[in-house]
Amino acid sequence: MHSKETDVDKQDQEILALLKDYPMPQVAAGYFDQALVRATHEGSRQQRNRWLMTGFGSAVAAGLALWMIGGFFLTTPELPEANPSIPGITMTLEEPRTINLVFASAVPLNAATLTVQLPPGIEMSGFPGQHEVTWETSLTAGKNLLPLKLIATSPQGGEVFATLKHDGRERTFRLRVDIS
Amino acid sequence: MTAKLSRSMATPNDIAFEKLVRPHFDRLYRLAWRLCGQRAEAEDLFQELLIKAYGKLDDLVRIDEPGSWLCRVMYNLFIDERRRFARCRVHTVEEGELAGDGLAGLPGTQNPVQDHERREKLLKLDAALGQLSDEHRTVVLLHDTEGYKLSEIQELTGTPVGTIKSRLHRARARLREILINDGTFS
Repeated sequence: MHSKETDVDKQDQEILALLKDYPMPQVAAGYFDQALVRATHEGSRQQRNRWLMTGFGSAVAAGLALWMIGGFFLTTPELPEANPSIPGITMTLEEPRTINLVFASAVPLNAATLTVQLPPGIEMSGFPGQHEVTWETSLTAGKNLLPLKLIATSPQGGEVFATLKHDGRERTFRLRVDIS
Repeated sequence: MTAKLSRSMATPNDIAFEKLVRPHFDRLYRLAWRLCGQRAEAEDLFQELLIKAYGKLDDLVRIDEPGSWLCRVMYNLFIDERRRFARCRVHTVEEGELAGDGLAGLPGTQNPVQDHERREKLLKLDAALGQLSDEHRTVVLLHDTEGYKLSEIQELTGTPVGTIKSRLHRARARLREILINDGTFS
């Protein structure tokens, strides 16, 4: 005897087996890395645009502009002394602020190391509880923007140090942070 | 400061972002592929997800299961894109995308006849899946191919389990009907 139900069950089993085998292609070599780079670049650009359109505009209107730029001219043989007057900003407790540092270099720098040291009570977005964050980065010739999103978690304030090291040389940028 | 800023530095946000999302890349890529069925479209969806997720980094760091969250965002992006696409009504078809791509690396059984038959059936299945609606194709691929549980599909799509079961049943029935009609099953 050969019932119709048996045929259907057999066909369903075969379809399930085929579906289990249904393949998908391998991801192309390097695709994930490229997608990540594109996402961070495009994501940063969109964030910057949003900030310029909203945060920066309203801050300027309120007289509270916090755009801060520091420069490191790494190819200058005699490096200038650090500015004796330390730039500073005032932050509000628990309110994130984006600080933009600009590193200027005459030539591309690969495998530079950047270390940001934070005082107690100041944190970097994405690194809760960490007072020192180090990562490797590359600089293009010209000006390189580094946006740092800081959050004050306690009212004492302090100094933020950003140190760029490359090929045995280093420069440190200081930023005073007061909390209102 | 008026000079145009070049930007090539990996920021702390970039590092934090990569640490959060990279462990889920394989799962997300598979989902993108199952949803879209074509490499170019899947890679666009994957890319769009990463850009959107980067903008939500502050939220992402606080989420207990970023992988599930990313999958949901991807699914919603896919649905939004499909709605926009449906409004356009002009479709481009990459003929044989999966057949030339997904089946090329299929491991064989060292039996050329069986391998050929299997490959032919998978090609027919591929064509049959292409005739299903997005809802039916998605649910059958997520459940029967990727092994998602019904509750996981519910979480991903926001569709009640009863509806998912119904779609699954109909999708399998439709596949069987198509495969009988094209002579794969007698």
